[in-house]
Amino acid sequence: MDAGAAEREGPPFHGLVSRVPGAWRAGRRGAPQPVPGIRPLLALLVLGCLVAGVTGGLLRLGVLLPWSGSGWAGQAAVAHAALMIPAFFGTAIGIERAVAVKLRWAFAAPLLSGLAGLCLATGAAVTGAALAVAASVAFVAVHVLVVRRQSASHTWLLLVGAGCLLAGNALLLLRAAADATLAFWFAFLVITIAAERLEMTRLMRRRRGASVALYAILGLLLAGAAASAAWPVAGGVAYGAALLLLASWLACFDIARRTVRTSGLSRYMAVCLLCGYAWLAAAGVAWAAASMGFPGRDLALHGLGLGFVFSMVFGHAPVILPAVARVKFAFHPAFFVPLAVLHLSLAWRFGPGATDLGQRALAGAWNAGALLLFALTLAVAAWRWRRLHPGPATPGA
Amino acid sequence: METDRFAYEGPDDLRETVQRALQRVVDPEVAMNIVDVGLVHRVRVDGEGAHVRMTMTSAACPMADVIVEDVEAELADALPGHPPVAVEVVWEPAWTPERLSAKARRFMGW
Repeated sequence: MDAGAAEREGPPFHGLVSRVPGAWRAGRRGAPQPVPGIRPLLALLVLGCLVAGVTGGLLRLGVLLPWSGSGWAGQAAVAHAALMIPAFFGTAIGIERAVAVKLRWAFAAPLLSGLAGLCLATGAAVTGAALAVAASVAFVAVHVLVVRRQSASHTWLLLVGAGCLLAGNALLLLRAAADATLAFWFAFLVITIAAERLEMTRLMRRRRGASVALYAILGLLLAGAAASAAWPVAGGVAYGAALLLLASWLACFDIARRTVRTSGLSRYMAVCLLCGYAWLAAAGVAWAAASMGFPGRDLALHGLGLGFVFSMVFGHAPVILPAVARVKFAFHPAFFVPLAVLHLSLAWRFGPGATDLGQRALAGAWNAGALLLFALTLAVAAWRWRRLHPGPATPGA
Repeated sequence: METDRFAYEGPDDLRETVQRALQRVVDPEVAMNIVDVGLVHRVRVDGEGAHVRMTMTSAACPMADVIVEDVEAELADALPGHPPVAVEVVWEPAWTPERLSAKARRFMGW
């Protein structure tokens, strides 16, 4: 195939990014650099939201940390879900998008959601919710810009995901429909991940109707989230069914099925994805069951949040952090250790822990331990990279 | 080696050097290099240095900077005299699966 033929007669070069290797890479000449100091501030906010969210989650399970006695820890337990999704993930994904679009105002979204997390963790619930709404309005605006730059099915889905974050945050501010709030927050994460996977599936030959099937599944997810406000049982069953169907879709069409046969980082990422899809399926069944009054709410929420979403985080952090945090990592098979701890401790939590609160607390502590272990693995991998590449590690930082 | 994966303007004896350098830039997510994925539109090597025009599969992906950085580093290292390298990321023409190399298509099960 001569893929270059179409470009040979194209216009001459223009708008060069950089003439010196190592300069800050903008999309176009003159594109603004981030506001000085914003990245460390955002990093602190992301980390703060995560620590507060995990502290609150552990406190709910009855696991005390040395700082659990402080006043904010109790607030963090109350606001656990808001700290984890709109605050932590809203900020982390907001940074990711702002880095991608390279516009200063785009950093307003993660800045506002990070500050929302700070307020939520300190008991300023209304201010926190209002800031979260403002953050998601900015987040939606960033995605409108992404769609204008590249109108493709996956960018439109990312916009829909951003809309779900806005819907969930608006419900938080209105203090209405807790079930629907959670459903919209998770829909934000699930649709964002689905959009990013859809982009990747373009590399594989898809069966006719695969895209339509995905839109139908995500439509069911949205309908389930919206219906949860008025009809929790029907809404929850639809939502759970959509999660299960999405897991099946990803298992059929995701490139991870191919890349898992490779080696190194690519294989590790594929394992993270495939393990996550298994939890997505389990969480879907549990979500539907829990909404009908059966046990399984913990599996529904944390199978989805930890098993699926954090597995994606484990898989993508080694490639996303170099872009957003200007730090590079040398991959090592040790990355599989925190991944195994995460998934085994989740199996422990939803197995023996389902009926024994003591076991559940212990397993929950190991869930948090897996996150800590992952952070340590990243730190060691960054150190290894610097040792293997002496000299300025991040010339553009 | 599949040739003509991108348009090339410059000394003929550097063509293979350029292609090999770009093939060392791998997107770990897809486990393939950017030449096989078809992200590189054209490369020009002249007295001022190397100029690359390429695309990404998504405008929402923050990894673009890392890939651009790797392209700059690999080309600067591979070309004689470590010349300046400029990379331009464009969205037109958009990436489509038709741009995958034969090897990439085999790997992805086409």
